[in-house]
Formats: sequence, structure tokens, C-alpha cells
Amino acid sequence: MRKTILATLVSLSLSASFAHAQQPSWTGGDDLPTNPLACDATPATVTAKSYDGGTPVNAPDRKGKTLKVVDVPKLVGIGYFTATSKGIADAAKEMGSMDAKTDGSTKANIDDQITLIDNYITSGVDGILYAANDPVAIAPILKKALAAGIDVVGYDANSTPDSRQWFVNQAEFNGIAKSLIDNLAAEIGEDGSFAIVTSTFTTPNQARWITEMAAYQAKCHPKMKWLETVEAQEDNILSFNQANTLINKYGPELKGILGMTSVATPAAADAVTQAGKCGSVAIVGLATPNAMKPYVGAGCVKSVVLWNPVDLGYAAAYVLRAAADGDLKSGDTAVKAGKLGELKVINGSEILLGAPFVFNKGNIDTFDF
Amino acid sequence: MSLRAFLRHETILAILTVIVLTVLAFQSDKFFTVANLLNQGRLISEVGLVAIIMTFVIATGGIDLSVGSIVGLTAILTGVFWQNFGLPLPLAAGMAILAGMVAGFVNGFIIARFGVPPLIATLATLALYRGLAEGISQARSVRGYPDWFYVLGQGDLGGIPTQLWILFAVAIICAVILGLTSWGRTVYAIGSNEIAACFSGLSVDGAKLAIYTASGFAAAVAGVIFVSRVSTTRSDMGTGLELDAITAVVLGGTSIFGGRGTIIGTVLGLILIQGLKNGLSLAGIKGDGTIVLIGVVLIMTILITNIFRRDGTR
Repeated sequence: MRKTILATLVSLSLSASFAHAQQPSWTGGDDLPTNPLACDATPATVTAKSYDGGTPVNAPDRKGKTLKVVDVPKLVGIGYFTATSKGIADAAKEMGSMDAKTDGSTKANIDDQITLIDNYITSGVDGILYAANDPVAIAPILKKALAAGIDVVGYDANSTPDSRQWFVNQAEFNGIAKSLIDNLAAEIGEDGSFAIVTSTFTTPNQARWITEMAAYQAKCHPKMKWLETVEAQEDNILSFNQANTLINKYGPELKGILGMTSVATPAAADAVTQAGKCGSVAIVGLATPNAMKPYVGAGCVKSVVLWNPVDLGYAAAYVLRAAADGDLKSGDTAVKAGKLGELKVINGSEILLGAPFVFNKGNIDTFDF
Repeated sequence: MSLRAFLRHETILAILTVIVLTVLAFQSDKFFTVANLLNQGRLISEVGLVAIIMTFVIATGGIDLSVGSIVGLTAILTGVFWQNFGLPLPLAAGMAILAGMVAGFVNGFIIARFGVPPLIATLATLALYRGLAEGISQARSVRGYPDWFYVLGQGDLGGIPTQLWILFAVAIICAVILGLTSWGRTVYAIGSNEIAACFSGLSVDGAKLAIYTASGFAAAVAGVIFVSRVSTTRSDMGTGLELDAITAVVLGGTSIFGGRGTIIGTVLGLILIQGLKNGLSLAGIKGDGTIVLIGVVLIMTILITNIFRRDGTR
């Protein structure tokens, strides 16, 4: 009997994995529909959508009062989220009416993140800023925060819309995808082969970008060839090893590596530099400028795509303030965010930070984060 | 009560737990509320289930590092059986738990039949089961479970979180088995001296198989509860859970060399760690400070017990 069960289970699980393996287009993307931008610089048309965010239940009147805010990034201790929390701290200082603190796990772990937010709900904060490790898994705890009358605003990585009020979108997915693929195509040519180093296949942002990149590449650069997407979990050593493996595995066929995280891109650049492949393997990716300065300076990396994470944190803090004050409510089309001026509301309940920015040899030294 | 009995590890730990909880209660008025304590009970359940069975594993001188991966595998299988194979959800969850038991059985089989050290065997299956979870899921998460399923992980039964009832039941049953039955004494005998236990006519291999299978079962149940609590499946679920469970067991006075350990100790260990994590967070201490303090408490507790122990054993 035991043997029968074992055999059944093994065959079931094998058939399950084979069934999936046959999906040819699988590249670490998600299943959601794509919306590739035009191949030239034509901006996308904005379709109006009604507010789909949530509302805190019986929130006290917080207008003008000092807000106790906790910022829960995906993880702490990496340059990117240090930059966002600096932006939040800057905004809080500027407003003078926000008591903000950043707390997070040292690993991008959804269990730890949920527990942490749960504790802050119990301790009675006025507002929660978060960058989700999983859009669905974090939703129940955020809904609990809304039910407790806490203002909830996301940034960097979204959750399901009804589990938060607003989400500050650093750049639209199709915009980032276009920027990455265009820059890569310019470096490796229209028929070049490339591989991707991503975080994990389930990380929402990366999965979305990869899907949008696939759609945009098929539309605008149809001859480019995808070799492989590898996971590196925003881990420095793992990213380096994965990039190294890609270089050894594909040899001269590999013309470019796309780094999907601020950890993977410098690690991949390091791997290419150490392999002596500068110039023959191009690196394009998302990264913070400080980490990329040596490689850009040495000419090994030509373009680094990102938004300004300090501005992202800064905008998130202002959006939270506006939401708590009642100055930003359902139906509004723009919100004032301090020195950033007016930011546009898109997709019902998202605030768009702006177009992605490309750092290159000419401008990278003017940034410090 | 003699002084020596008074200075048992569990007694020291209980006193320490009470002191810590009292201090924390004075740090934040939100800490010692019924809602918060029940909520912490909810959060502790998955690690708790695994830790209770882990007490048996470690008491035999073994270890099971693969439990976190079994949690992930079970979570993924629940989703895949339900969504991809179209099985009814209770059956899918049942099948997934069965698969978790098989995973545990495989651990036990490798350890008992082939004499592979548990550390090596379960380190291998830690990678193996996680790899299976990632391979089977192809990194897709399964979402959109029916509402009734969330009762297990997010609902209440008589005002107490559903999974806490399961934890209570498992804790009581296991405490009775380990403390009061001859089979429980077999566990200690294996941990104290496996060869002697074997020559005493005890079924060492049988006991080990049963214990590792039970460990797989507990991890599998924890996996299903976890899916229900966070309403989605991911292949990286339960990563690092084995370390939380082992920490609670060791803090609870179970000897890592085997032969000693109680369920009540493990439960106290769980309460102390969760109390510290939650209480310090409520008192405004950040996550990094909390894990440093937990490390200090772990070392101090073990040291205090070793200082007071006079029987000369480990």
C-alpha cells in the first residue's frame, strides 16, 4: 500500500512538472496581460480608471497632527532600501509632523514581513508604508491594518489594490521594460542573445518587468534571443555565481546580461569584469549609481536604468500624509509631493513617480545614493 | 521539592519566561492584551507544530533540517493538486499532507536503514524538497482559495485562533507520549545510547522511522495552515523555519546530543522567543536588535542551566 501511494505521488508530481516544463515561453515572468509601449518615444495613452484602493475603517481625524509612521521595506541593509528610507526620513523632517521609522527583516522574507507589520498594528501606529515581498500574501495583514483605522500606502512593490489606499509606482512596468530592452539592443545588436539574472521568479516587480520585456522585445526587437532566466534572490554572492555560470555555460553566444535587481546588476558586472569579458558581454540593468560607478567608469557598463529611490521614499511619505489628512481621496487625479511637485494618479489608485532614468558615463557622478 | 528538582532547566526557563513577559508588559501596554496574545498564538502555530515533533527528533540525538522545505513542498502541492489537477480542496490538502509524510518517511528511511547521519541526510533533503517545490510550482503561485479554507489560518473557533487548537492538541498528545509512555522512554533510550537501546530489544529503526515520518507530517500540516494564513502558495515558503524550530527546542532544554528533553520545555521555549520578538517590537526595538537579544537569551539560558547542573552530564 505504502509503495503504491509513493509511486502514485512520484508520478503525479513528475507529470505536474512536465506539464509545466512544456510551456515554451516561460521565462520567470507572470501570467498577467502585457501592455508594451510603442517602439519609438510615443507616450502611452492614459486610460481613466476609478479608485480601486481600500479605505481605513473609522480612522481618527489626523489632519495636521503628528503621524507615527512605520516603513517596512522588503528587507533592510541594502543600498536601495537605505535610499528609500532616507527619502522618507527627509520628507518627515521637511514636514515636521511625521515621526517615521524604518524596520524590516534582513532577508526578503514574507513571513517576517507579515509578523513585523502585525506587531506594528498592535502597537498602534497611524500609518504604514510598505514594499511587499508578495502581493497576495501581504494582503490579509494590510487589510487588518485598514480595519484598525491605519493609513496604508505602498511603494516599490505593490499588493492587491483593495488591501492598501495608494501605491507609489516608481515607474510603469512597460516603461522600464522598454528602457532596458532598447538599451540592451543598442549594445548587443538586434540579433544578440542575452540572459537575465533576477531576484526570484515569484517576486512581483521582476516577474512583471520580465513579462513586459518579453512583450516589448517581441514587438520591437523580434530577432533578439532569450537564453535563460536565473534566480539569485537579491544575494550578492549568488548573483555573482549565477552570472559567472551564465558566462561559462553559453560562452561566445552570450552577448548581454540583464540584471533585474540592484544587487544582481553590479554582481553581474563584477563577474564579467573578472572573466575579462568587458566589451564582449554587455551588462544592462537596474541598479543604484554608487554600486555601478566603478564599472561605468571603467567602460564595462554603458547604461544603468533606474528611478531615484530617495525620491520614491520621499513621495511615499507625502502621499501617506496627504491620504491621512484627507487631501488625497478617491477620484483625485494628482497629489502634491513637496519638492517633486504634482504627481499624477494612474491605474485608479497609483501615484506615478515619473519616467525611468538612464545613468551613463556622462551623468552618473552627479548622483550619490 | 528539593533544590535540585527546583533547578531543572524547565523550571529556570519558566521563571525566566515569566520575568521576561512581565518586563515586556511594562514596556508596552499593548503587549499583555488578550487580542495580542491570541494573535501571537496564531503566528507561533506553524513553528510550534514543527518544534514539538522536533523535540522527539532531537531527543533521539537526531535533527531534521528538511522541515522548512517540507512546508514549502506541501504548500505547493496543495495548490497544484487543487488548481492543476482539479481535486476538491480538502482532498488536495490531504494528499499534500500525505506527500509531506512520505517526505518525512524518506528522511527516516535514509537515516535508519542506511545509517546516514541525520544532519547529512536532512541537509540533502532540505535541498531536494525545496528543489522539488520550485520545480513543481515552476515559480507560479496559486491564489484564490475559497473563503472557508481561510478559517484554518485566519479564523477563530470559540474565540481562539483555529490553528492554536491544533497546536494545543498536538502539544498535549505529544507531552503524554514522550513523558508517560514506554515508547517515550524508548526515544530517550535511543538518544542516550543507541547501541544499548538496540541490545535492549528496542525497535530503534522503527522508532526513528516513526519519528521522522511524524516530523514530515507536522511540517506538512504547518504548510497547509501557512497557506491558509497568507492566502497564497509560494515555493519559498517556510525557508529558515527549521532554525526557528530547532532554536525553540534547544532553548527548551532538549540536549542536542539526545537523551533529554521535554515538550513543556519546547513550549516554554516557543513562548519565550515569540514573547521576546513581539514584546521588543512593541517596545519600539527594531528587528536587528531583537534577533541579537534572542541570541543572547539563548546562550544565557543554556549557560545558567549548565552552571546549576550538578549531575555531571552534558
